[in-house]
Amino acid sequence: MCCDGCVTCVSARHCRPLYAFAMYRRVFLSLSHFQQPVVFPQDACIYSPKCISAATPRIFRAAAPCGYRGLSTGSVLCSEIKDEPPPLKTKEKAQEERAEETSPQTGRSGKEKLLALLGDMKVQVTTKRRARPMAAAPGPVQKRPEPRPGEMESTISMFQEATAAGGKRDTLNPALVAAASAAAASLPDGSRVESELLQQLRKHEAVVQAQAGQRADGRTLGNIIANMKVGRRGHPNQQGARRALDDDEDDGAAQRHAQARGVGGGPDGERKRRSQLTGKRLNIFSKTAGQDAVAAPTLTLWDLELANAIAAAVKAVPRNGFEEMIQWTKEGKLWRYPIDNEAGLEEEAHVPFHEHVFLERHLEDGFPKRGPVRHFMELVVLGLAKNPYVTVNQKVQHIAWFRDYFRAKEDILSEAGALQN
Amino acid sequence: MATSLTALGSIHHTTAFRSPVCAVEQVRGYYVNWKMLRDVKRRKMAFEYADERLRINALRKNTILPKELQEVADKEIADLPRDSCPVRIRNRCVMTSRPRGVKKKWRLSRIVFRHLSDHNQMSGIQRAMW
Repeated sequence: MCCDGCVTCVSARHCRPLYAFAMYRRVFLSLSHFQQPVVFPQDACIYSPKCISAATPRIFRAAAPCGYRGLSTGSVLCSEIKDEPPPLKTKEKAQEERAEETSPQTGRSGKEKLLALLGDMKVQVTTKRRARPMAAAPGPVQKRPEPRPGEMESTISMFQEATAAGGKRDTLNPALVAAASAAAASLPDGSRVESELLQQLRKHEAVVQAQAGQRADGRTLGNIIANMKVGRRGHPNQQGARRALDDDEDDGAAQRHAQARGVGGGPDGERKRRSQLTGKRLNIFSKTAGQDAVAAPTLTLWDLELANAIAAAVKAVPRNGFEEMIQWTKEGKLWRYPIDNEAGLEEEAHVPFHEHVFLERHLEDGFPKRGPVRHFMELVVLGLAKNPYVTVNQKVQHIAWFRDYFRAKEDILSEAGALQN
Repeated sequence: MATSLTALGSIHHTTAFRSPVCAVEQVRGYYVNWKMLRDVKRRKMAFEYADERLRINALRKNTILPKELQEVADKEIADLPRDSCPVRIRNRCVMTSRPRGVKKKWRLSRIVFRHLSDHNQMSGIQRAMW
């Protein structure tokens, strides 16, 4: 027995009848309390999805259809489980404004009229299919006096023939009358039974014809439904949630579920989103609410400087090797990985090459135009032009140093005869 | 990244070294011995004077400029501090400050190198066997 609270399920076959019974019990209780059938996780073997998928469709199939007389306690209950009236009611609410406009009634709303119509309807248990649409929710089943099993076949066949002929006349079908008299003849108190039978038949015929034909106020279910318009309230989420409760009825539950949700994508999703966005204004916020909005605060250099100063003051001892390496990298002791040959030369990348190569223009000022000094400096410039590892500023500084040096040593140069052009 | 005209690499900066801003501190650091510390000082100074030494040497070591200028340049370079010349730098072992038997690539003396590689601390080093 796997109902001891253990998680593992022995086998699906073994489980099903046992906790199907448990589920039935729970469904009974919940139905009696006018609630949705709730499956508690305390029940055994619910954890395994196999069991759930196997058992729950059975349960719900048993609970939902109203033809199952054992479980259906009333028409209202059945409809609640099936979840049809809630969307129907929303439709009615949408139409009751419009229905009232289209056909004015004597003070009653369209919803009330429809409910009254449905309530007055009675089930006609016949094998023959009527041309007109019959009631959706069955009313209390009319019980006929069951004849004895001996005469069953003949009387049933007589009844069938009688009803098959049609009942659009006010008077009873003569075949029906003959069948009733035949049935009554089989019983001991024949005449009384016959009269009672005929009374019942007349009543039933009257009701059926009133329901099938035109009513006094000219409104039938068919007319009402034909006049109804599908109201688009734009609540796809709500309907999707309601539809989700019916999922377990079908075997293709997953597909339908996904389709109903629409997975939030595609044209359906867009339509849903648009329908959600376009709606009646609630007027909760006034229009001036967003105008005083403060611009998003941006970090200034001062803030960054403060943050750096705080970090430097609270420089914690590195807890591990990684933090130590991070610290060294920030100090500049450790190179940044992956190794970049031009690590500190980001600005130099933007300097054009001709400034690196053509440096003779720096020799125009401060240097003699002829002589050994100029010769020397041209060689220096040639060497610098071939040097890709130094920045342009450094090259310029190099040349400037020589300028200053030769200016300082002018007297020695002139004494040696180097400055004579 | 420090840039210089010479081929000198970046010199290690230690927390124990005297900074030019603050007052004289006690030289108490994490170097193996004083020789290592002196070597570190030389390296720093060599880095500082590298550009100047290069330029003055360029004046000295050519045949174009007059010799008078070159003699003056000789005097100038000799007046520079002794520790500024890179020749005084000794590639010591980083761990033990051993002046000899140091492999330049790893900056370690042969004994330390063997010790670490035997304990699998050296990446890509394997005992030779052929």
